[in-house]
Amino acid sequence: MSALANVPALEVRGVTVWFEGQDRPAVEDVSFSLREAQIAVLIGPNGCGKSTVLKAILGLVPFAGDIRIGGVPAARARRQIGYVPQRLAFDPTLPLTVREAIRMPLLGVRTPESEAAVKHYVDVFGIADLLDKRLGRLSGGQLKRVLIVRAMVTGPRLLLLDEPEAGVDIGGEQTLYDLLGRLVSHHGLTALVCSHDLDIVFGHADVVLCLNRRLQCTGAPAEVLTPEALTRLYGPTTAIHRHRPGGTAR
Amino acid sequence: MPTLVEALGYPFMQRALFAGVLVGLVASLLGVFVILRRSAFFGDAIAHASLAGIAVGVVAGLPPLVVAAAVAVGIGLSLHRLERIGQLSLDTILGFILPFFMAVGVLVLSLSPGFQPELLSYLFGSILTVSWEGLAAIVAVGSLVALVLARHGRALVFSAFDADGAHAAGLPVGRLLTIHHVLLALVVVTSISVVGIVLVNALLVIPAATAKLLARSLGETFALAALLGIASVLAGLLGSHWLDAPSGPAIVVTAGMLFLAAWGYQAWQARRHRRRLRP
Repeated sequence: MSALANVPALEVRGVTVWFEGQDRPAVEDVSFSLREAQIAVLIGPNGCGKSTVLKAILGLVPFAGDIRIGGVPAARARRQIGYVPQRLAFDPTLPLTVREAIRMPLLGVRTPESEAAVKHYVDVFGIADLLDKRLGRLSGGQLKRVLIVRAMVTGPRLLLLDEPEAGVDIGGEQTLYDLLGRLVSHHGLTALVCSHDLDIVFGHADVVLCLNRRLQCTGAPAEVLTPEALTRLYGPTTAIHRHRPGGTAR
Repeated sequence: MPTLVEALGYPFMQRALFAGVLVGLVASLLGVFVILRRSAFFGDAIAHASLAGIAVGVVAGLPPLVVAAAVAVGIGLSLHRLERIGQLSLDTILGFILPFFMAVGVLVLSLSPGFQPELLSYLFGSILTVSWEGLAAIVAVGSLVALVLARHGRALVFSAFDADGAHAAGLPVGRLLTIHHVLLALVVVTSISVVGIVLVNALLVIPAATAKLLARSLGETFALAALLGIASVLAGLLGSHWLDAPSGPAIVVTAGMLFLAAWGYQAWQARRHRRRLRP
């Protein structure tokens, strides 16, 4: 095995983000590393710093600590990252087509490889019939699929998704995570997802990261997500209902 | 009054047409970026702020539009930094810039006694008096805009539409937005000679807004905005000659009529669509 294979796909070491005017850090001394072809899900209550961790990786907020992507400082490896925001703030009356939106990160480059990548991800995410539609006329689920395709067309090694299930119905949510699973297993992609949905964590995550300003626990969902750990993370009023596979809630 | 054909033979009319078409083209293209960034207020703020530069130029005996360009470019260069440092939205910052610099302009002008007749031409434009030097400045700004759009147009579109997404894709968003602001500032100042401070924002926003109503894609929006910008200037200029009316307001009224026609057409289509859906 080459030395390169041991380099984590994403390494976050001692990251602290402290916003101006706040009396305490938004996230404090967060450290974790992810291997290639893993889906990691960041969970935690609202305001625990999940999105802030993603923004630090993207370089959108100043931070103390070290973040590396494939061993390279994140600031120099930005093109290795694909980002799917929780919401895209845009004018829905804008005549911007899905075709134009997904091609934006390519900046007009049209190589055989880029064309093949666009076609591949459009097919994988089943958005071929949406290409000439306006972005503002898509449903929540359709828009999320388009945003994932847009993030993937430049061939990133790390995909960051901020609550991708927001605004998506239950069926769409399942489809979205199934497709994400396919991307990760077929392309060796590493995905870091912020989510509130513990079903998603149990069904799709290889690693779960429990965050409440500080990292509370890390590991495989079945090992880490005990009722006690979740109560510590979300508070004593949290009720946990496990679902039987294909059955109803208990 | 000379006929239209005779008028087109005069060098001042040829200069006015050439300057107007160029300004109409670049202003409407940059107007699409203004709409993408949802900052329709930008042109107004820069144009009114440039009054401070014009006032300093008038009082100090310097070329007023050159000083206005310096003020506008200075604002363009610092706008993105101000957004980040002050944690204020772009609209709030522009809401400060417009009245503050305009008030400074009025105070500076009050230092110079007597009526300033040329001020009216800065307020409402005077395209028929565009000099060769003025035309050269418009050609230089137009060429700069064309060059930057050819090289960085798609990166500018991405960062204007989705700054975080563009940053995540590795684009230098801060630098791109500053380039966007500086180009807008230069185009706004050169447009002052065509339609004046009061109406300059119309050249930026109205053709782009009309194109937005009619286009089916962003590419079409750029193409239509450029066509509408040129058509508004040509029709307004020739119409003003025919009516013996001021050219700046005539250009803006033409652009506005095209917008109203497009808006009416869209409303009629929406109504027809609703009728078809009724049982």
